[in-house]
Amino acid sequence: MITKTPRIVTRLVWTSCLLLVVLFAVLFLGVSAGSSSGGMFSVLQVILGQSDPDSTMHAIIWQIRLPRVLLATLVGATLSLGGLVFQALLRNLLAEPYILGISGGSAIGAIAGILLGLSHFPGVSLTAFIGSIATLVLILVMTSGQSVLKKESLLLSGVMVNAFCSSVIMFLVSLTQDAKLHNIIFWLMGDLSTADIRQVGILAGMLLPCFVLIFWHSHAMNLLLMGKEMAQATGINIKAVTLTLLVASSLMVSVTVSYCGLIGFVGLVTPHLLRLIFGPDHRLLVPACILGGGSYLVICDLLARTLPEQGEMPAGVITALIGAPLFIILLKRSGR
Amino acid sequence: MVEPALIVNKLPIPTDGKHGGASIDRTILKNCCTTVRLAINISEVMILRYQKIVIVSLLALAGLCAITAQSSAKIFKDQLGRHISVPTKPRRIVSLAPSITEIVFALGQAHRLVGVTRYSDYPLEAANLPKVGSYVRLDIERIVALNPDLCIATKDGNPKAVIERLASLKIPVYVVNPHNLDTILKTILEIGILLNAGSRAVSLTAELHNRIQRVNSRVAQVAHRPRVFFQIGIAPIVSAGTETFIHELIELAGGKNLAEGRIAYPRFSREQVLALEPEIFIITSMARQVVFEEVKAEWRRWPNIPAVRDERIFLVDSNLFDRPSPRLVDGLELLTRLIHPELQE
Repeated sequence: MITKTPRIVTRLVWTSCLLLVVLFAVLFLGVSAGSSSGGMFSVLQVILGQSDPDSTMHAIIWQIRLPRVLLATLVGATLSLGGLVFQALLRNLLAEPYILGISGGSAIGAIAGILLGLSHFPGVSLTAFIGSIATLVLILVMTSGQSVLKKESLLLSGVMVNAFCSSVIMFLVSLTQDAKLHNIIFWLMGDLSTADIRQVGILAGMLLPCFVLIFWHSHAMNLLLMGKEMAQATGINIKAVTLTLLVASSLMVSVTVSYCGLIGFVGLVTPHLLRLIFGPDHRLLVPACILGGGSYLVICDLLARTLPEQGEMPAGVITALIGAPLFIILLKRSGR
Repeated sequence: MVEPALIVNKLPIPTDGKHGGASIDRTILKNCCTTVRLAINISEVMILRYQKIVIVSLLALAGLCAITAQSSAKIFKDQLGRHISVPTKPRRIVSLAPSITEIVFALGQAHRLVGVTRYSDYPLEAANLPKVGSYVRLDIERIVALNPDLCIATKDGNPKAVIERLASLKIPVYVVNPHNLDTILKTILEIGILLNAGSRAVSLTAELHNRIQRVNSRVAQVAHRPRVFFQIGIAPIVSAGTETFIHELIELAGGKNLAEGRIAYPRFSREQVLALEPEIFIITSMARQVVFEEVKAEWRRWPNIPAVRDERIFLVDSNLFDRPSPRLVDGLELLTRLIHPELQE
């Protein structure tokens, strides 16, 4: 599906290299900061393998901070890519898993799974996926018959789906006992603190195939944005492509929600920023979203860890504080 | 007086030796295990009846342990049945709950604490120790950075994932699970043995046990058990069911818990509370004084309730009732004074 011209390949390589450098820099920053002391130098020593492998700093960096920043990278990449795909398929720049209510649907599924006492993987991930598919179907039914989703109807359906999801979540939460409840509320606000390296591995195993699949269809997304006729004329199977992309991105989003709760607006902020820098070609935007989205959430999580004097706040608070105003600006601008 | 050796001979020799690492001398390990097992068995069966014997035997065994146990670690079985290897003399302990901090302080072992949780506020010195997050939201990195050789956790509250995470980072985590006064005494004994403060633990539990007995014998004389509504939540109104410390304390103090039942922390509507006609309201201070006055004024609107008519609405410190620590006995004595003021000497 990807028509490779030499020019696009060069640009792809340059973009990826640039963003990879950014990602590595951000990962280093993320690994250097934490609730215990230890300067950049000692962090560098540990990373370069020049420290005692039994030291406390060694354990903190490799077994506590590294899984966390890797989780943030994966989740940021997934949510950005999810945003990009939904924006292309619904042809609406305001579409985003959290705003559409797909994250909320996954959260319902995940909470139901937690309350049923299922294991994290595959139990809770599966119920979250079912929840996200159910909301996706709901959104598609509500907006069916419209060739281009108008922003008002999209927003309205998103608001309604979100309102419904949050009331179901409140219903489920009010059924539970105190100790569990506390965890669910923290988790709902987007929590990256509990990851260990094994979980990150499982998550990567589920997400990476989706990334590849979406990259494979990136040129088709370009064509879809030009209109149905144009896409059909170039010989792509619109239905199959749309279905594949929707299912793949819902799966990605629901899996990340089941691991770290609701982290909103990432899929709005990064695709917009990257589109401004690299232009509208999805063949560039897909890898850019993966690398750039990862960096973005690592930075947000870094702020969430370092801003409060005591303890830490959920990363979802920071992403919403940045994302929601941007959403309003975009809405205002597109209304003109 | 029975010779300690006799008790030792009568008790079964544990077979836990297989859990030791290859580096640990088997006989030493066996001695240690015997000590621990013995102490736990004693605490369960005999502490309440044969205190003198227990004290003597424990002291003797502590001595024995000190002589033989020169290895660096002992194998303990915690209250969840997990086997963990703990240094003979743990020096860097992180307490993962306010109640555990209180127990360690009560055992006179505060100098071994290097970290506590955010709301560890009793005794006052505890508040000055480094914090590792709140007990439901622990900061793993801070715990690891304190380089502890032992963490003491509680099953009720500490997230299981965090305990597993710490264990996977090779930090011994001893989990306690006290669920009534008896198991609190047992927990104090176990922590005492863990911290080489067995004799202090025995005298502390004996004293607590005596105080509980005094309440028991006094309450035994009462003819009427007043209906108590123990309010721990304001909006919504929440009370404590049968499976809570609060229920046990109310019953021991000679009252009848109106919220008894299967649900641990049941919610009530105002109407339901009025229908129960409480004779005594006890409101915990998780809410501030101002809020308490508001809640009190709210109940005063119904002068038909016996508790309002007799002016028996009280504010108590919630920390005396929801922390499984020695202070729960203070809570018991306070509750007895409130429910049965006529019993005072």
